[in-house]
Amino acid sequence: MEKRESLWDRCLDKGISRRSFIKSCVALTSLMGLSTDCLSKVVEAAEAKPLPVVIWIHGHECTGCDESFIRSASPLASDLVLSQIDLEYDHLLSAACGAPFEAHLEETIQKYKGQYILAVEGAVSTKDNGIFCMSGGHTFTHLLRHAAENAMAVIAYGTCAVSGGIQAAAPNPTGSSGIKMFVGNKPLINVPGCPPIPEVMTGVVMHVALFGAAPPLDGEGRPKQFYGNRIHDTCYRRPFFDAGLFAENYDDAGAKAGWCLYKLGCRGPETYNSCGNIRWYQGMSYPIQSGAACIGCSNPHFWDEGSFSDRLPKYDKIGDADKIGVGLAVMTTAGVAAHAVASVVQKGQRDVQEAQKGGAAE
Amino acid sequence: MKEVKRKEYYIFSPFLRIFHWIMVAMILILFVTGLLIAKPLQVMTPEPTYTLTSMDLVRDIHFVAAFIFCASFILRIYGFIINKGDRLFPRVWEGHFYEETVDVALHYMLLKPHHASFLRNPLARMSYAALYAMVLVEILTGFAMYYMNDPNSTGGVLFGWVNVIAGGEMMTHLVHHYVAWFIILFAIGHIYMVIRAEFMEGESEVSSMFSGSKILAHTPKDACELE
Repeated sequence: MEKRESLWDRCLDKGISRRSFIKSCVALTSLMGLSTDCLSKVVEAAEAKPLPVVIWIHGHECTGCDESFIRSASPLASDLVLSQIDLEYDHLLSAACGAPFEAHLEETIQKYKGQYILAVEGAVSTKDNGIFCMSGGHTFTHLLRHAAENAMAVIAYGTCAVSGGIQAAAPNPTGSSGIKMFVGNKPLINVPGCPPIPEVMTGVVMHVALFGAAPPLDGEGRPKQFYGNRIHDTCYRRPFFDAGLFAENYDDAGAKAGWCLYKLGCRGPETYNSCGNIRWYQGMSYPIQSGAACIGCSNPHFWDEGSFSDRLPKYDKIGDADKIGVGLAVMTTAGVAAHAVASVVQKGQRDVQEAQKGGAAE
Repeated sequence: MKEVKRKEYYIFSPFLRIFHWIMVAMILILFVTGLLIAKPLQVMTPEPTYTLTSMDLVRDIHFVAAFIFCASFILRIYGFIINKGDRLFPRVWEGHFYEETVDVALHYMLLKPHHASFLRNPLARMSYAALYAMVLVEILTGFAMYYMNDPNSTGGVLFGWVNVIAGGEMMTHLVHHYVAWFIILFAIGHIYMVIRAEFMEGESEVSSMFSGSKILAHTPKDACELE
């Protein structure tokens, strides 16, 4: 096998100075959510490790994750794709197409067996042998299984790949699901979000590339450095929540004043993501900052947990749980009262009967 | 004026009685603050900075009440260990339990004029077991939400799995909220049943939760269990 270039080699090729190289390593370190103590490790890895081969495949989805990814600013998505990873195959970003392109995929899988990173976007459509999602004459289930069994690690980008996504919403006609059961025992890194934050996407792939291993994961397989906090606990509007200042409508004075969107059904208290600290597009904004309640897009099943503008789900005309609860409490009280009356009447009748019997006996 | 001969049966230890009344107070506090957390009140004053409805305070009251509740439950379990009278669960492994439950249930359905008297009414005991199950769900889901502000903390590790089982943290919130309503429904039925037993069946259900003793004119069927 020919010698594969490292990030440093590629910098040398391009005449990039050592100083700039170290600078980009510093940027990478903070991007991956690591402490600056780890800088020397990152530099060593960037000097020695060959650029990671990445195969990026797409299943049942809208490619919104790619839209997010190409807006990554640090590092620029173009830098990442062209000089920090070896992106050998990508359904969406590749210029090539057709049979030669598919042949190249097979070649890449064979050539870098057990060394490449498999990035998967989109759900797996499992119903009817997966015929609802095909590419290159094969079902996506086939491609995924084949690519995953030879991969070093698998990254599930987006809520679709993690837990099925919008197409898995009830009644889920295509049997869409997350990729977990198709990757076997390969290390799987879940990067949920609809879409995930661009810097989170690039940060995760760089972590795997430089350290050759998955970053520390939480109980649901998500990188702790990006999914370690609830949006609610990192939200800049949290002080309004604590003070009890809420927007009641999207057009009221509270909403204009930038108060907490909790009463408008904000899912921040249930959602783990970096929106509150990294934010989107170079820290420009995130949904809550733009005045829209969080819909919890990095949660499994968020699509079925509507309505997005209510804290408690409403059951048609009956209302939410509190209304039903009050109704049940009133009915219980009425039932209990009726039972008490019936008991007293019954006891009275019985006492009369017993008194009559007693009288007859005398 | 009439003279009645009564016997005193001591069954409820202070642990149980203190727990019971702490539970009453805490469930009321937890329920009211819980509703306020789900749907915060907003009282507008001319200057929002001086708003009267601090969500932070409501949440703190909820959390403190929850911890007091859990602490008293631990003492309740301690009382169960050291005192013969306190029981946590109905004796479902004893065959006669089921006949007795049916007997009592038929009476409550107004189909039978009387039922055998018990120190520990089997049907009531079943409902308490159901209450403990609901309380357990509330404790698990409550701590799962509370501790996950730091998933790496001990509490987060101990209770984080609840969110996974519930199928997402939103579900945990909903389960916590819905079960709270069922506890209130239980309380309505419970209050009615003990008052009914006191007035119509001559059981000292109400007073025994203060004094610990039942002072009865008749001999309950399970009196021998105290020996």
